[in-house]
Amino acid sequence: MSENSGPAILVENIKRKYGHIEALRGVNLQVEKGTIFGLLGSNGAGKSTLIKILVGSTRPNEGQVEVLGLNPFKDSRKLRELLGYMPQTPALYDDLSARENIRFFGQSHRLPDLTEQVEKVLEFTNLPGRAGDAVSGFSGGMKQRVSLACALVHRPQALFLDEPTAGVDPLLKENFWEHFRQLAAQGVTLFISTHLMDEALLCDKLAIMQDGAVLACDTPQNIMLRGNTTVKIWRGNRLERQTISEYPTQLPGLLQSYGLDPSITRLELDQDNLETIMLRLINAKPGANPEQAMAKVS
Amino acid sequence: MATSVTLTKERSGGASWPGLSRTFAIIKRVLRQLIKDRRFLALSIAAPLIIMYLLKVFFDSLGNFGPGRYIVPAGALIIHFLTYILCSIVLVRERKAQTLQRMLVNGYRRGEIILGYLAAYTILATIQTLIVLFELAWVFNLNYDLGKQLSIYLVVWLLAVISISLGIFLSNFSENEGQMLPTIPLVILPSVFLSGFLINVDKLPVWVQGLSWLTPLYYANTVLQGLIKAGGELGQEWPSLVGLLVYGVIVLILATFTLKEQE
Repeated sequence: MSENSGPAILVENIKRKYGHIEALRGVNLQVEKGTIFGLLGSNGAGKSTLIKILVGSTRPNEGQVEVLGLNPFKDSRKLRELLGYMPQTPALYDDLSARENIRFFGQSHRLPDLTEQVEKVLEFTNLPGRAGDAVSGFSGGMKQRVSLACALVHRPQALFLDEPTAGVDPLLKENFWEHFRQLAAQGVTLFISTHLMDEALLCDKLAIMQDGAVLACDTPQNIMLRGNTTVKIWRGNRLERQTISEYPTQLPGLLQSYGLDPSITRLELDQDNLETIMLRLINAKPGANPEQAMAKVS
Repeated sequence: MATSVTLTKERSGGASWPGLSRTFAIIKRVLRQLIKDRRFLALSIAAPLIIMYLLKVFFDSLGNFGPGRYIVPAGALIIHFLTYILCSIVLVRERKAQTLQRMLVNGYRRGEIILGYLAAYTILATIQTLIVLFELAWVFNLNYDLGKQLSIYLVVWLLAVISISLGIFLSNFSENEGQMLPTIPLVILPSVFLSGFLINVDKLPVWVQGLSWLTPLYYANTVLQGLIKAGGELGQEWPSLVGLLVYGVIVLILATFTLKEQE
């Protein structure tokens, strides 16, 4: 593992422009080692640009970045041995087999046990049965698996996955997340971008991005607490609604105000989901257009 | 379900010359792709053969026109054209598919990528050059001695390698095939008109003569014209031969430095 004792990833005030478009507007993040960090945002939020900066593929206009204590641009040679990158598109050689693709990307690193390692990642991604087949005949999900195997073959300490489960069926998605959990348990830091709400909740920590800025960065549980909870109380056919912002602390007080009223026949808690919380965060931004925000998220 | 496999462990030492091994990895990968893409391979071989045969038909139709001065340079032009296009398109395709970016993020270095591609496509170009020159000698009944044949082969082969470098260099400025296509006539047509292939360069306006130096066919054609004359030898036009070599080195350096590692 890296000798660096600090965070696995440190992003300070990163800005990046493409022409007149500000893709990143001063992003700050810190990711601890051996954790799964999720980057949630709609298309065009700046997720891919941030990942490309972290892997040293795109230079920021301003700001500082450190990955495993190294600068992705000044220490690129050293860092590239330690990080794995899975781009948004599979980025594979269709004419070659899964095994040949993995081997080729593995050959860029000094691996004395490359052959053994290729077989290991093939097994890890459940590909041994199709390892010799040309990638051109693979489904989208299988290509994603090969792409993940290519990113893993050199045993990276930090793994950057740009929408790894886009277009993947629910079963395979579950499988992928099982892989991610295993890797994190082995000490690998995973930095995953996604626009899928359910997937974001599986991360250890989550940053919500919109228009090149981080709107919130916390554990999914704490982000969920930012949502409102509607308490529905029925007295026979009569429904009363009470909205509270922090239900773990406010709910007892609310229920105490009702006492042990025997006329209450039914009680429901309706919590905001992540999408609603995200929309609220977007709309809370100065100059936000609620309709535009809705269109981007949905 | 996923199998539990430990993937993280301490990295041990590796080969002392990773750069060379990585270049070989690229050569092997490109060759494997070429072999697997049989249609591409077949067209790469068949296209120059068909074009050369049509050239023979064309020259025959001209009646008493003596094509001697044009035959070998025409073969060189065809090789220049095909090698330039094939390599440039393949590299642009890599850029579009993001495999080029992935290679760089994975630790492959610019020089290794350029050399890997150059070496792999040189193997294809070597075969193309051999076949074209054999066909030329056969259909046009060229009776050069072995020394002259080998000299011609060397010059055309060198032109092919330089055309590959030129293809790699210019492909660095294109994000997709659409952007690459306009460079094809920009490279090939000046080669036809300004290289001395159709008319001697000294008959062109002085300001245009300078442009001739920008096309590798100018140097190759000058050497070939000297070679195909009775008693012509390889060293006869040595300044142009050196010019061809220098041109190749410059283009190769430019190709390496214009291949962007970062956006």
